[in-house]
Parts: sequence; C-alpha cells; structure tokens
Amino acid sequence: MSETMEAITTYLAPRRLDEALQAMADGDATVFCGGTDLAPQTESGARPYKSRLLNINRIEGLGGIAADGGEIRIGATTTVAEIRRSAALAEIAPVLVEAAEHFASEQIRNAASLGGNLCNASPAGDMSPPLLVLGASVELACWRDGAAHTRRVPLEQFFVGPGKSVKRPEELLTAVVFARPAPGFVGRFRKSGPRPALEISTVSVALGARVADGRLSEVRVAMGSVAPTPLRARHVEAALEGQPLDATTIAAAVAAAAEDAQPIDDVRASAWYRSHLVKVFVEEVLDDVRGN
Amino acid sequence: MEKTANPTTKQTLIGTRVKKPDAPDKATGKTRYINDMVLPQMLIGKVLFAGRPHARIVRIDTTAAQALPGVHAVLTGQDATGLKFGFSRDNVALKDKVRCEHDEIAAVAAETEEIALRALALIEVEYEDLPGVFTPEAGAREDAPLIHDNFPGNKSLHFEFEHGDLAEAEAASDIIVDNVFRPHHVTHCCMGTSCAIADFDHNGKLTIWTQTQYPYNYKMDLAPALGINPGDIRVIQPPVGGAFGSKLDVYPYEPIAALLAKKTGRPVKVIYSREEEFKASPTRQAAIIHMRTGCTRDGVLTFRSADVLLDNGAYTSWGPTIPVIMMRTVSGHYRVPVVDFKAQAIYTNNPYAGSFRGYGNVQTTWATAQQMDMLADLVDMDPLAFHLKNAQRSGEVTPQKSFLRECALVECLEAAASASDYSRKRTEYAALRDAPGRYKKGIGLASSVHNAGGAKIHKSDGIGTILKMDDYARVTVITGASEIGQGIDAVITLIVAEELGVPLEHVTIVNNDSDVAPWDVGVHASRTTFIAGNGTRRAAQKAKAQILNAAERMLGEPTETLDLRGGQVVFERDGTPLIQLERLLRQMHFKAEPELVMVTDYYEPKSEPEGARHISDHSAAYSHAVHIAEITVDTLTGEITVDKVTAAQDVGRVINRMGLEGQVEGGLAIGLGYALSENMQIDKGMLKNACFRDYKLITAPEMPPLDLHFIESNCAEGPYGAKGISELPTIVIAPAIANALYNATGVRIFNPPMSPETVARAIHERRAQTNAGKVATPAEGLAV
Repeated sequence: MSETMEAITTYLAPRRLDEALQAMADGDATVFCGGTDLAPQTESGARPYKSRLLNINRIEGLGGIAADGGEIRIGATTTVAEIRRSAALAEIAPVLVEAAEHFASEQIRNAASLGGNLCNASPAGDMSPPLLVLGASVELACWRDGAAHTRRVPLEQFFVGPGKSVKRPEELLTAVVFARPAPGFVGRFRKSGPRPALEISTVSVALGARVADGRLSEVRVAMGSVAPTPLRARHVEAALEGQPLDATTIAAAVAAAAEDAQPIDDVRASAWYRSHLVKVFVEEVLDDVRGN
Repeated sequence: MEKTANPTTKQTLIGTRVKKPDAPDKATGKTRYINDMVLPQMLIGKVLFAGRPHARIVRIDTTAAQALPGVHAVLTGQDATGLKFGFSRDNVALKDKVRCEHDEIAAVAAETEEIALRALALIEVEYEDLPGVFTPEAGAREDAPLIHDNFPGNKSLHFEFEHGDLAEAEAASDIIVDNVFRPHHVTHCCMGTSCAIADFDHNGKLTIWTQTQYPYNYKMDLAPALGINPGDIRVIQPPVGGAFGSKLDVYPYEPIAALLAKKTGRPVKVIYSREEEFKASPTRQAAIIHMRTGCTRDGVLTFRSADVLLDNGAYTSWGPTIPVIMMRTVSGHYRVPVVDFKAQAIYTNNPYAGSFRGYGNVQTTWATAQQMDMLADLVDMDPLAFHLKNAQRSGEVTPQKSFLRECALVECLEAAASASDYSRKRTEYAALRDAPGRYKKGIGLASSVHNAGGAKIHKSDGIGTILKMDDYARVTVITGASEIGQGIDAVITLIVAEELGVPLEHVTIVNNDSDVAPWDVGVHASRTTFIAGNGTRRAAQKAKAQILNAAERMLGEPTETLDLRGGQVVFERDGTPLIQLERLLRQMHFKAEPELVMVTDYYEPKSEPEGARHISDHSAAYSHAVHIAEITVDTLTGEITVDKVTAAQDVGRVINRMGLEGQVEGGLAIGLGYALSENMQIDKGMLKNACFRDYKLITAPEMPPLDLHFIESNCAEGPYGAKGISELPTIVIAPAIANALYNATGVRIFNPPMSPETVARAIHERRAQTNAGKVATPAEGLAV
C-alpha cells in the first residue's frame, strides 16, 4: 500500500542474532518486531523504511523472561502480553505487570514487544516509567570487526528526545535487565487518559522504593508524557529519600513534582492539566504506599 | 436465521425479538461491503486535498502526473465541469479556490492506488494563502475576508420563529437563566470509510454504487454536479459500514468518481483512507447557542429564547439547516408559552457539517435540558417535580403546531425516576457535594422531544412498496427503504411474516437499486420503521385480502372467517388448517383466469409540509425520551465514570425488540462519545486529531450498564402503534450527564465534551472561587 514500501529491497528473517547484527551493520535496516508503532509511522509517511526490512521475531534467544537469578532479564521480542501474564514478574516486579495491564488494547499487547516500545522512545511509552523505577538497563548489540559486541546503557540515559535514543542505527536492543528488587521494595504505576481502554498516557507516574520503618530509601520516581523523554523525577526523589512517609513529606513531594515536569500543550492535554495530574498521581501513589 | 414455524394458533410477532437477516453474514465476515467491491476494468481514483484553509490557486501543473504510466485521467478545477451543487449551490466537485483544508483540488484515475498516489505527488500546485475565518463571530465581522464572492457578509442560511410577547413574558418571570452553550464539532466515524464507484454506459447513463441513505433525492442532488438529467442516474447501494446521517447528501468524492469515469470510459472507485475520512467527511454542526429560559417562583415556564450562531464551514450541506429541528426543541421541549428563536449560519474556513443522528436536537437539548435543571435548582424544586409540572400531556399542541396526539412524557419521567430512585439519590448526593472525599457521585435527569413519524421537510415524506409472492409462498418486498444498519430489514420481514403468516426466512427484501425499487425520501428523521413499516403493512394487507378473496372463491368460506397462519389458510376462530398457502397460490396462478399476487402501495404520512414560517404539524408523530445518568466523578483527575443509565422512551409500540434495544444502545454510545470524549480539534481550519488514537470514541469497556424502559403510547398513525425512535437516545444522554455532574460537584459545563481536563479545570476553578469566598451560581455559569 504505502509508497515508502518501495524503498525496501530486501526482507530478512534470520534465526541467529549474529546474522541479524551483520544484516544491520551498515545501519541501513528497519527492524521489525510487533510493528504496532512501526506500521502506523511508515504508513503515514512519518518514518521512511530503509532498504532492508529485518524481522527479528524468529531470532533464537531474543525473547522470554529469565527471572531465576539476581538479575532479571527480559528479551527484546517479549510481548507486552507475555509480561502481563508472567507469574514470575508479578512476584518480582508487579509495577511492570501493572503497567502492562494498562497498555493499549489486548490486540496491541499481543503484538507489541518490550524492545519496540523502548526503541520507539515515545515520551508516553508505558513500559518506560516502571523500568526506570526498577533501575533497568538495556543491552545494545552490534557487529563490528567480525564479532558481536554488546554494551549496557542505563535506561535513564537511553532516551534523548521524542522518538530518539542513544541506540545507533547499527545497534539492536536485545534485552532489558534489572537487579532483583530487594526485600521491602514497593512499586506503583498510575496513568491517565480521557478513556480507560486503548489509551495513550496523558501523564504517567511510577514509584519504586524500599520501605522500612515508615521511611523511604533508594527512591526512584519516573514520569511519562511530561517532557520530551520519560524521565526520573529527581526533585520528587530528593523530597522523599530517607524521609518518614507522612503528610508533610507527601506534600513536599507533590510540590517538588512541579520542578520535574515540563509538560507541553498538545492534542491530548494542556500543560496545565499535565502538571495538575502529575501532582495528583504523585500524591496518589504515595498515599497508597502509606496506606499499605 | 433460525426457523420460525408459525403455529396456526393466533400468536403475534409484534414485540418479539427478531435477528437482522444480514447478521450472520456480517458477523462471519461474508458480507461484501461497497469498500470490498471490485469491478472488471475498474480504476482507482484518488483526490488531492488542499491541506490549507483559505487560498487562491496561482498555478496548477499536472503534466508529470498525466505522463506517469498507469494514469488514465487527471482532473482539476480548470477542466472539470465546474458545475455547482449543494443546498446553496456553493459547492463544486473540484475547486478553483481553496475554502477549507479538505478542498478537492485535483483527482487522478489510475490502474492502482499506488500509481494514483504517486501521480498525486507529481501534481504541482502553487497557492497564495488568504487570511481565514475560523469562527462564526469572526466571519460575521464587517471586515471579515469573504469566503464566497456571492455570499456577502459570509451569510449562509437564516431561520426565525417567534410566538407570543417576549418582553411581557420576561417581565412575568421571577427567574431567568441566561447562558451561552458551545456544542462542538464531532464526526460520524463510520466503520466503512466513504466510497463510491461510478460507471457510464454508452448511452450516457451513469450507474453509481454508493453508501447513500437517500437514493432518490440523491439523483436530484448529484445530477447538477455532472450536468446530466437525474433520470439518467441509477443508484445501487451495496452493504455499508454505517452512515448515521453522513450519507444524506452528495459530497465531492461522488461527482469526482463520476467525472473520472466519464473521462476514462471505465468504472472508477474512490475510497477514503481513515485520515481522509476524518478530514473530508461531514461533521456534526458546531454552534453557539445563547439561550434564556424563564419561570415563575412556583416553577411554571414562562418563555424560552435562543439566539444561535452556526459555524457553517466552507460549504452548505445539511448542517446549517438544523435550526428546523432546533426550533422544535426550543419551542416544544416542555410547555413553553412564549418562544423566540433566531439562527444564523456564517461561512467559515472550517470543515463543514452534514446531518448527524439527532440533527440539531443534540445541540439544543444540551442547552434546554441543562436550563431545566438550573431553573429547578433556583426555585428549589426537585427537577423531577419541575419537569412534571411543565410536561405536556396527550392532545396538546406546541407553539409550532406539533400535535402531541399520544404523549407519554409523564410516563417516561415517572418510569425512569422510579427505576433509578432519582429523587432520593439526588438529594443525598447534593448534600455530600462539598463534603471531603475525592470521588463524588451524581445523578442527572434530562429529556427531549423529537419527530417520530417522519418530518416533512421535502415535498413528500412517502414511500413506495411492491410486494410479490411466488408459487412457493416466498415473499419479495421491493421497497424504497434503505438499509444502513439500522434494521429496517428485520422490521419489514417481521411485518410481512405477521400479516401473511409465512416464516421470517421466506421473506426477501430488494431495496438497493433505484431502477428497481420505488420512491422513498431516505433514511433520516427517525422515520423508516414508521413510514416503511406502514407501507409494508399496507402492501401485505392488500396481498392478504387478494389471497383470502381467492380462498373464499375456492373454498366457499367467507373471507372474514379466514386467516393466514403458519404457511396455511386457516379458520380465523380456531386455526383449523384449510389449505397450504403455497398450494393456494399455485391454484390461483394456474387456473383458467390466472392471478398473481403482486401488489403495490404508496404511503404518504398524514403530516404537513414544514413551510417557510415553520408553523406546521410536520411529523405524523412525536416521541419523548428521559435519560437518568448515574456517575462517579474523580474530582482530581476530572474523570467521569458513567455507572448506569436508566432510559425511558416512548416507542409507541415495540415491533422488533432486539432491533429497538440495539438502536437505543447504539444511540447511547454515540451520545456518550459526544458527551465525554469525542472532539474534532480544529486549529485555524486544520484538523489536528485525524485518527482514532487521538479522536476518542466510546469503546465497549466504557459502555455503562443500561436499564431500558419502553413506554408504549400506541400511536394511532404508526404501524401497530409504533413510533420512530432512533435519534432520541443520542440526544438526551449528554445533558443527563451534565446535570449529574452538577449534582455531584456543583460544576456546570457549557462546552462539551466533558473531558477529564475540562471537568478537572472547572472543579479546580470552583474550589479556587469557593476559597476566595464567592461561589458562582449555576445561572451565571462557570468559565470553562
């Protein structure tokens, strides 16, 4: 259908990672996994196809959730539906499962991959805030000098702008990793849009922290749709770190939220509403942790 | 369809649940919609849209596009016929000036869509942008840029209706509410995008496959755009994926398909993408309604006035004609002794409106039903009591002379209020309004009135029906009534089975070819069950009389002792079978003086033409509906959850219960989207959210539990007592939710949709005002 399809000269669906990395070594490949972001973007002309279309779905070892050790590893082609259904993640990182619950629709969850959601680098990407509060990193692999090389990038350094990340064109995001949360870790996720189902976040907020003796430590707070990238809310974190979780601390965190969020007006919401919602959600997730 | 063996004992089908005959094919994907159709030799037509709101075309060069292999024709405003069409003859298939974003500048017919798209990209157009007009207020200013040279002051249609002495009524009022309401732009979002296929034969006759919902006047409206005689157009209506009023006019893609077909000598199909559909299909009319309503201290309405400014958009389709129905709401929604209504449509460079389910009444009921609630509050009455006090009863006549012969407004109010425990909950929720707590519950009541027996805005509101039976007692109904998903197919089947005692599955309907089926004014105005139901029943009764007369001659039993049941001729008194119906039909056909059962009927409802003064009983029936919405409001995020809707509607009489439920549920879904989430965001004439990601329809999870009450007022003129019902469910729900929001939070929203942001902002501002020691009264309203 799309005119841009004509740019594609080669279609590849390798079974091995090194084949895939070699195929994209010159940076002239479009990576396809679930296609839920890629298809609308190429169809509308917002994003052109490159000469090679590289389907990574068949690559062995690129999917699946490994949750046995001290490091949790989720393969790039793992679907959002698989995350949502994962008993292991429900145990270890319920905040991620919670976000998967609120992700688009059943059909899109069945197709959309975790790697794709991150590489799309949308400020509204639903997987980003929970992974940011889990302290996740991404693994980026490429083919260089006749061998595969992998580097790890903390997720908070991964995003650089709307639709932009530090991933180079010849690199493939292969996995998301994070340390098994310590005992006492609590996570919360909250998002909002004008309609419950099939919604892009107007604003999302995630919280991850250890709670002991009524105090928060190792606090991470992340926000979506309030800036050009998903971000760590450093001011909110500072207001919470080491503090007793009482009304004064919560009020300070809510006030600090305004420092972290730099939202804009767009078709989904005004900057005023986004700023307002961020404060509501920060208070809500903290009240929820305090109540439990 | 499941087999229905009619027993020979008398058992009526009226009020039962009958499946749509096309439901299995639609549910299993077998239906071939117009969008799926491919004709031999067919070319694909694509349209180049201006993509800017107001501009002069300096230069247009199609040389490269013409030269592209696979391209068969390229047309522009220069070489198209340039013939005007539309209500005000202000539209043309391909434009020589840009007046809105989706103005059609050029069109291509090519072997494939890909080639056609590439050809569009090769067309060079140089524009000189002109200052635009983006609100009706701006368009009405003396120094406003002129959109059409021949419409000075950008003035489009104007309507007025006055009744009684307004100054006297205002003086007699103890309380007056005075607000400005701004109903917004929304669009139909048909699942099947707009599509037409056109083909000329060598005699110059055009066959057009289209989604139209008014095939006969469609010929009259399409012909001027092509410069041909309406009689030389054959309209074929394949299955469509929705219409809801959007196919009640001719839009430029249709003459464009025909012009390309004429030029190429081949069939040409034009089909919109979803983005094109959002941008180039009609909208619901946006309006600015300045409404005032007065009442006495003891809660008796004294007058209602409305000064309406309509955003005409760039061209005149049905949108600017909605005051015809708006004024019926203003003058007839409750007993209003004095009425003053004015409406002026102003051309702008915005998208233009067509008709959309509810047709003006959605916009005016948004205002009237909120002002009823405000007045009740200000005179300290339960809104239910206030409504009952001012409700019309059967036999009353409105100032515009709508004769409410059978009026069940009181019954609807009582049924809905009692089923929802309205009065108790309203008091309880209002008392908790300013209590601590993030989530607030609210309950709101709204009602409206709508034409329910057609609306004679054309010279004819009638329908032709041909009914024939074959030698096997299979019945074919050839009718003008179009099927656009609303379910007239099931109603016709049910009525034929009821009258002729044949199984439902032995009835076939032919209703999609203007060369075959007789006249009908179209699917609009909630009219088809009423009008086509009457036509079908009358034709079936003629056939039945012919059959029973023959039976009398053959069996020697008087016709009044006979009936048709279960595929047999039976004794009326006890159902004793006398002869198989199909055997009797064969005997009639093959006897010495043969006769075939083949009857015709033309039904014209007893209604009066609308007329220029708008004083006429323009519909053969009127109906009321009452909706009570129960909601929970998140006062921080502004999210409204609709917990339950109790809907009571005067349906006259239930014919097909399943179809009726479907129409009410579907109408509510459209109404809920209008109320809560749907909104075309138009910035300086440009649509910013032309996709389902950013244009939010109500989806299944948001549909609230519904408690439906059908009130049977038994309409003397309706088929079996039925009234038309399909628009009211869309009309009433939004103000019911707005009134519930007020009950919950004290906040009034005048400009829909009641999106989370709009609600959150209004609550936030009310709290700021409360803290500052001043609370806005509902009559003053809150700025939103």
